[in-house]
Amino acid sequence: MKITESVRISWRAITGHKLRSTLTTLGLIIGIGAVIVFMVLGGGFEGDILGDVEEEEEPLVQVTTQTTPEDGFGVQFIQTPIYTQSDVEALETRDRVEYVAPQASLSAVQLSHGDERLLSSGGFGGEFGVDATVPEWFEDEFVDVVEGDVFDGEDEAVVNELLVERFDEPLSVGDELSIRLEDDTETTVEVSGIVDDDTGDLLTPTVYLPIEPHYRTTIETPGGTQERGYSMLVVAGSDFEELDELQDDVETFFESDSDAQHLKDEDHTIQVQTVEDIVEQVTDIIDQFALLLGGIAGISLLVGSIGIANIMIVSVTERTREIGIMKAVGARKRDIVQLFLVESLILGIIGAVFGVLVGLGGGYLGIWFLGWPMAYPVDWVVIAVVVGVVVGVLSGLYPAWRAASVDPIEALRRE
Amino acid sequence: MTRAGSAHELTGETDGSALVSMRDVRRTYFLGEPVHALDGVSLSLPEGSFTAVMGPSGSGKSTLMNMLGCLDTPDAGVVEISGENVMELSGSERARLRGTELGFIFQQFNLLPRLTAAENVTMPMVFHSAVEENRRDRAQQLLERVGLGDRLDHTPPELSGGQRQRVAIARALVNEPSLILADEPTGNLDTDTGAEIMGIFSELHEEGRTILMVTHERHIAEQAEQIIHLVDGEIEEVETLEETGGESA
Ligand SMILES: Nc1ncnc2c1ncn2[C@@H]1O[C@H](COP(=O)(O)OP(=O)(O)OP(=O)(O)O)[C@@H](O)[C@H]1O
Ligand SMILES: [Mg+2]
Repeated sequence: MKITESVRISWRAITGHKLRSTLTTLGLIIGIGAVIVFMVLGGGFEGDILGDVEEEEEPLVQVTTQTTPEDGFGVQFIQTPIYTQSDVEALETRDRVEYVAPQASLSAVQLSHGDERLLSSGGFGGEFGVDATVPEWFEDEFVDVVEGDVFDGEDEAVVNELLVERFDEPLSVGDELSIRLEDDTETTVEVSGIVDDDTGDLLTPTVYLPIEPHYRTTIETPGGTQERGYSMLVVAGSDFEELDELQDDVETFFESDSDAQHLKDEDHTIQVQTVEDIVEQVTDIIDQFALLLGGIAGISLLVGSIGIANIMIVSVTERTREIGIMKAVGARKRDIVQLFLVESLILGIIGAVFGVLVGLGGGYLGIWFLGWPMAYPVDWVVIAVVVGVVVGVLSGLYPAWRAASVDPIEALRRE
Repeated sequence: MTRAGSAHELTGETDGSALVSMRDVRRTYFLGEPVHALDGVSLSLPEGSFTAVMGPSGSGKSTLMNMLGCLDTPDAGVVEISGENVMELSGSERARLRGTELGFIFQQFNLLPRLTAAENVTMPMVFHSAVEENRRDRAQQLLERVGLGDRLDHTPPELSGGQRQRVAIARALVNEPSLILADEPTGNLDTDTGAEIMGIFSELHEEGRTILMVTHERHIAEQAEQIIHLVDGEIEEVETLEETGGESA
């Protein structure tokens, strides 16, 4: 029997039972749709965070303290200041190191701009954060100065775009900001520049102040002295070609007798990462989440395939007599197998196509709602369609075999 | 009468030689104790013959038809159709025989309910079609042949019993079979309708087709050339009728 012939006959059987066919493919549509939604959202999130990161070839590495959270997913950045002034100075004497830009958080409670006030709930995800750093920090590829300039004096500050939008009256260069710190001291600074954090919604609205004179937190060094301590560093070399060597060098420094090595918590690790490493890390984390959710959605694919198999088995039983008739008028076993396989294949393809449409549509809605860039997970669309086809064929195999083994005499005897 | 001529060419045999033959065929079902549905049956049907099979319920008539229809294979004995030993054929070769050499007509019509009359008629062509001819034309031609030229697009539920059986007859003829097997074709029809169907059978016989037909009714069996009487899986008697029997309808 020709394939076109079996497609025609199978299509008849499918459209002859519209409700049943719809319900059959529903499991598959939901499964594939959910996988695609998660992949679209994952891709959009990734695009939001990494989309604008320019791979400028800057010889920079970032030094941060990280740990794996209890739930085992993603990474947690530790803000505890462990990088001492001595560490910074020791690093700066190294051959490949051009400069070291430290950063630390200040505990602020209130930020005022004219009559408007923002309150800090403290920590990540608060209304705003205050970081102390040096001008070189802004050479990092994750930050772009979009307006004005990096701070140059002690009463100047840089703000990020997230903070600009946080005020009803958006901030602009030259505006005054009042910051009340935890120790109740009040500092007034002038906005000298606005930076665009390429990392999207991941960050908090932030004011960057010069370390001198605003950052005064000191920690006890292993040597017993009191020194300023920072929570992260950017170490710059002079030659991009030697980035790997720089990374090794900085890693070796921290593994050896640095203060940070002694001050850090046992379960924390000091990570020396290039921009490429960071991009990869973020991508990995997002992929990990997307895959977890996708995996859960994958279970509904399994359910969907069981659904198809179930309906096909039912329809074999229902159509036993028809199968008998077809055999009596000359259908071979393989014709019957072909008919039923084509039918479940069509159901699988329909499920996959609608699943992809539903997934892209749902993902688009989510993306639009969250304000992320739309992502088209082409590879997952292909995977979904392939899975639909495979599921269709696999779930049709047993029913088709059952159909082909129908005894025409028995079948025709039935009423 | 051109069909008789072409049938001869197909089989390459002369009148009187057997188109279909069975030798000492046995079929036993085991349900607690053995039931001999066919218990050593031998027969041969010459090309162009019209044979009726009669016998009490359970005597093995349907089993005999299934044997000749290649739906069932004997436990012992030989079944030959157009010179091919059915036992030596593979499943798909038997399916080919069913589709091309045999035409089945059943008591319950056995049409596919969702397909139109025309589609039902050409169903065997889906599986075995030598030529790529226009199916609709073929259905039209055959349905006109059985007096249903105006019902091509009706589905079986929209047809009367007699009309359904006409569709089934048209379907049996679609691939120009050598042998037509009919198991109580009038069993589900009233007397008048049954007579109309028998009229078609007589015409088919006149065209030179080979027909084997099971029936319970004597007056229907009398339209054949010979009647095989089956009792308990054995041929009790082969009754040869007057040559005029077929023409009287
Ligand atoms: N699948 C089967 N399993 C067991 N026994 C069977 C089976 N098919 C047929 N038989 C037995 O074989 C015998 C012959 O059956 P068959 O159907 O050939 O009778 P029949 O002459 O066609 O009867 P009827 O006139 O009622 O149609 C019966 O005794 C029946 O019970
Ligand atoms: Mg019977």
